[in-house]
Amino acid sequence: MLAAHVRARFAGSRSALVGAVIVAALVVFAVAGPGLARHGPLESDFVHGIAGGARPVGPSASFPLGADRLFRDVFARLASGARLTLVVASAATLIASATGALVGITAGWYEGARPRVPWPVLVGCVGAVAAMLAGRPITGAVAAIAGVVVAAVRPFVGPRVDVDGLIMRVVDALLAFPFLLLVLAVSAALDRATAVTIVITLGATGWLGIARMLRAKTMQVRALDYVQASRALGQPGARLVVKHVLPNVAGLLVVTSTVLLGQMIVADSILGYLGAGESPPTPTWGRMLLEGQDYYATAPWLVVAPGAAILLAVWGFNLLGDGLRDALDPGEG
Amino acid sequence: MRPEPWRDVLRSASKACVVGAAASVCAPWGCGETLTAPIAAAHGQDARPRPGGTLRLASFQDVRSLDPAGPTDGLAIQAQRLIFAGLVDYDEKGHVVPELAETWEVADGGRTVRFRLRPNVTMHDGSELTADDVKRSAERALAPATPNPNASYFDQIVGFEAFTARQKDHLEGVVVDNRYVVSFHLKRPDATFLPMLAMPTLRPVCRSAGALYDDRWTPCGAGPFRLPPAGWQRGMTLRLVRHGAYFRPGLPHLDAVEWTFNVPLLAQRFRFEAGRQDLLRDMTQPDQSRFAADPRWAPFGGVEANTRVYGEAMNTRMPPFDHIEIRRAVAAAIDREHYRLLKPAYLTVLTQLLPPDVPGYDPDVRGQGYDYPAALEHMRKAGYPYDPVTGKGGWPEPIVYPLYDQGLLVFTAQLLQQDLARIGLHLDLRLMSWPAFLALQERPGGAAISQANWEMDFPDPSSFYDPLFTTASIGPEVSYNVSFYSNPRLDELVARARTELDPSRRRALYGEADGILCDEAPWAFAFTYHGYYLRQPYVRDLESRLIGGGDPTRAWIDRESDTLERAVGRLLP
Repeated sequence: MLAAHVRARFAGSRSALVGAVIVAALVVFAVAGPGLARHGPLESDFVHGIAGGARPVGPSASFPLGADRLFRDVFARLASGARLTLVVASAATLIASATGALVGITAGWYEGARPRVPWPVLVGCVGAVAAMLAGRPITGAVAAIAGVVVAAVRPFVGPRVDVDGLIMRVVDALLAFPFLLLVLAVSAALDRATAVTIVITLGATGWLGIARMLRAKTMQVRALDYVQASRALGQPGARLVVKHVLPNVAGLLVVTSTVLLGQMIVADSILGYLGAGESPPTPTWGRMLLEGQDYYATAPWLVVAPGAAILLAVWGFNLLGDGLRDALDPGEG
Repeated sequence: MRPEPWRDVLRSASKACVVGAAASVCAPWGCGETLTAPIAAAHGQDARPRPGGTLRLASFQDVRSLDPAGPTDGLAIQAQRLIFAGLVDYDEKGHVVPELAETWEVADGGRTVRFRLRPNVTMHDGSELTADDVKRSAERALAPATPNPNASYFDQIVGFEAFTARQKDHLEGVVVDNRYVVSFHLKRPDATFLPMLAMPTLRPVCRSAGALYDDRWTPCGAGPFRLPPAGWQRGMTLRLVRHGAYFRPGLPHLDAVEWTFNVPLLAQRFRFEAGRQDLLRDMTQPDQSRFAADPRWAPFGGVEANTRVYGEAMNTRMPPFDHIEIRRAVAAAIDREHYRLLKPAYLTVLTQLLPPDVPGYDPDVRGQGYDYPAALEHMRKAGYPYDPVTGKGGWPEPIVYPLYDQGLLVFTAQLLQQDLARIGLHLDLRLMSWPAFLALQERPGGAAISQANWEMDFPDPSSFYDPLFTTASIGPEVSYNVSFYSNPRLDELVARARTELDPSRRRALYGEADGILCDEAPWAFAFTYHGYYLRQPYVRDLESRLIGGGDPTRAWIDRESDTLERAVGRLLP
């Protein structure tokens, strides 16, 4: 349950409310929109979808947002696209947030220390990096998880490692690449773009900023008097993280994840626009924008609909994120 | 500064979302745009050509190879024609005319063609062209190790089989009579030999090319333009510069011809309007209509001949298209009128192999046509009946359909997907890059079905039948016969037609061949369209040819700003 003062601050912010309304409307549109459409998103209507000169018809009762170049219902395609975009962006954000949180909290907690890292974990991590470089991200993830599991089942010795330094140098190196370039490179390395591969691509490349922020916040929390006192009393590190760090960084994680969701929508649209997203005829907002741009002067609804959808979605999540930040952490707002 | 294409791509993609959003605000309220005015020529119509300047071109495509002996494509051929001069060439109407050959004579009842070369022709490396160069270039292009998909065109040359089977070191039928005379001996008279010789394939290459094909070789020939060092940035740009010692005195007028590749259609239009691109061939349908309807632009537009066939190539060696009834079902299931709606002013439905402007086209042939009940019946005969009411039946697996991101073809692919779903064939469209698409399509076992198109290389039906459907044009690595179709009867008809000199008998042979193709359907023929191009008025004397598009050999740039730019360029460091 959110504390009453948090809810009050959120309710008092007009921009937060606007953001919440836009996001709620988007979710409703994605859920109910395809059912409300009179046509299927993939069906051409060669009878009613055609205007004079073989042009697609404009907005009408039958085609609320007009028809596209293949005489398909833009409303139906936009709604289907909304569903796909929200699922892809949410799943990618979930992966990115979880990865960013794990990496950031680990780095922040071990900042300034050189703990012993069990050999299986090290071997698993090296294997994961090698597999990633070989274009096998799933094998890499399995290797890393296997290393951690083996080390958890029975104790292993290992060398002292500057965990924070190592992790943050990797983060720095990846941050040196522009996000979209990284996304495109990973996307190109994959054999075929599907919703799953796009989720993995965006999730695997979108956690860096969250990791940095959570590292800083973890270091802040770790230095608090009551956390130091618990540590001095001999509380294990894992329990301290769960009991003290996680609750303190949760607000920041929620805020950054909300804003990240908007960024994921843009990234997904850009992939679609550049032809690196899902193949046609699957409706995605970016692809719709690409296919409609040739007609921007003669059939403007073909860019209006996906353009406005992208704009509103990103704006809505940004406003919501800002509102949540002000409500959860007013001191930093 | 070296270009950084990814930055542009990301920047333009990011902007696209913002622009799209901005457009969503303004477009409905009439923020319609007007075309900018053409950039006028600096001098009157009677002005004499002025040397200098660069002709700037662009394409949404890329070129694969500039070696005339290597795998090629429509865009590469345009560049190859500028780098390599041939013994003969085509004039603007597609007739064969002398080029490096001063004259030729046909002897021995049509079985010998003897060429007398122009003396003192200087190639790009400074050497003089001789008959030895002609023979060496022909042997290099037809050598068994050369990945030349056009090699089978020249199988009428005496000794072709022995040479390509590595039984002989030299091609017996190409004989150097003296320094400037070379003879081609044919097994039998071949009506297509001279037109085929005008293609880039056997054009003389410099001695640096060696005797064997090597894709690291820097292209070098005797054409009006040469490739300078680093002139070709693969996937990005190609710059050809004037060959100062070109054999036609005073030509070319231009200093250089430049292509930029992989430029989207809309971006090309903006570049063209801004005067940063001089010729516009790749246009969206709305832009095409608007330019054609604008009286300021109409005088500078031109319609190209209808010499390109588009269709769906079905791999006859891969399931389910190894079954003739499935192929027939596809050919009958495509409603080609829906394709026509995509470019109603320029696109023509095609139900036979040959497009209307190719010799041999017969408007009375019915060929393949849309017949939905027949398509369902073919599916039933194939053993995969489909019930359109329940949606049950048909081919049980999705069929991968590779495609590259070119506007029109992405849309036709989606229409095809809808049409074939109605007979129980479910296509799984997969977008990929143009090179990846070609690599897949031209490899045996690569693609079960894919969009295919072919443009006339020389004005004869043979230009379509031989490369696309004969057994000889199936290669181990690169095949133009992308349906991997092999039919001894068709091979025989096509071979006989090539050596048949009587026009009516020739027409009958090709008619029978067309009947076989329409029935056995290695391709579902779909459409053809008139290309439309525009030039800025300051581009002068650009010849439009039936084959190979615009020829810039005699073109010149008559633009005031270029003069100014050149003057300023000389003043500034």
